[in-house]
Amino acid sequence: MTPELVQYLENIKYRSRLGPPDETGVMSEIEAHIEDEVQELRASGLTEDEAMQVCLGQMGGAGLIARRIYEAYSQGSWTQVLLASMPHLLFGLLFVLNWWHYAGWLTLVLLLTLATTVYGWWHGKPAWVFSWLGYVLLPIIILGLLLLYLPNVWSLLTLLIYLPTAMWWLLRLIVQTTKKDWLFSSLMLLPLPIIIGWFLAISPAGKFNETSFQRLNSFAPWIGLSFIALALTIAVFIRLRQRSLRIGLLAASGLLTLTLVVYYTAGRLDTLTFLGLVLVMWGVLLVPPLLERYVRDNGRKFALRQSAPSHKYNLYWEDNIEGAGQRKR
Amino acid sequence: MEPRRDLMKSSSDSLLLSLLEHQPMYGYRIVKELEERSQGYFKFKEGTLYPALHRLEKSGLITGRWQALPNRRQRRYYYITSKGLAKLATEKSQWQDFLEAVRLILEPRPASP
Repeated sequence: MTPELVQYLENIKYRSRLGPPDETGVMSEIEAHIEDEVQELRASGLTEDEAMQVCLGQMGGAGLIARRIYEAYSQGSWTQVLLASMPHLLFGLLFVLNWWHYAGWLTLVLLLTLATTVYGWWHGKPAWVFSWLGYVLLPIIILGLLLLYLPNVWSLLTLLIYLPTAMWWLLRLIVQTTKKDWLFSSLMLLPLPIIIGWFLAISPAGKFNETSFQRLNSFAPWIGLSFIALALTIAVFIRLRQRSLRIGLLAASGLLTLTLVVYYTAGRLDTLTFLGLVLVMWGVLLVPPLLERYVRDNGRKFALRQSAPSHKYNLYWEDNIEGAGQRKR
Repeated sequence: MEPRRDLMKSSSDSLLLSLLEHQPMYGYRIVKELEERSQGYFKFKEGTLYPALHRLEKSGLITGRWQALPNRRQRRYYYITSKGLAKLATEKSQWQDFLEAVRLILEPRPASP
């Protein structure tokens, strides 16, 4: 296999973002097609390099093929729509129906969230699992907040241990999700700015007291509605085929929901806080693709160096993949 | 003359189903067959065939099966399903009606005296 073909196939694989069984099938078919085509072109008198050039030209750009493959596979079924929007609906209903008062309901929803996430994570990480995964982060945040209630020295000590551990676990989770597709990391983190927004509106000092609970009571229907809005967003997201539309949907919905949070909290969040929340929202959408590029580049660099340590291949790598070498050999 | 992209897009499913109607084929053969039968009119970026085939497969109109060749290579042959045959019959009839209507407009018969 020529380095040009390796890069071509790698590009299709990278951009089409399929799961392992589908990826193997699609890539084997494309490879078999290229082999047939090159064989026929060589039989017509072309050299191997010429045949490969003509063949790849006839195949079309890797980006175009990958985009079409993504669109052929990305649309989820209605069952997936239901499963993906379920956690947002459950949390929405907890607040709309005022069930958040009852520890039993809260525990049940949290346990269901945890069980569904663990099941989905160990069964191929389907698209729907990432919206559940976002809510698994909630107990970690709540536990962090509870630590603030410990006596001062203990609070500081536990936070010094807890914060780095929680951050390390969160980062690990985001990296693993991003390896599958950065868009799922954004999907997972989407409720985060909205939860922070509501939290700041209810308890700006970071501690819960009687007033915070009164505010939570009065905001509860709107909190519920914001989660239901997220559920609708996720339902549309799962049914959309085009990646650009999916990204646009997450950005627009996140921004709209944040605006609604600010509107319903009736002046409890000032412009600066709103801008800060918008920044967090953009972080949710912009950090995962950057992280994905970093993770994939490192992975590919490592894999190619392992599989082809020859001098010729390394020069090819430097020239074509790292992009550092605009130099011509 | 190059086929218009929108025409090609709207007819690609019917063309693929039509090719598979009488015999199963693998991707490379489909491309060549399409080119030969249309006398070179239908020529497209070959890599985009596979997403189209997989889309049809997901809709249940065709089904793909890997077959081993004597030279230890493998090819994925596509077979039309009964759902695909029914869809093709509907589409054929729609295309024929459409073509007939277009022909009546483009080539009007001279009015009888």
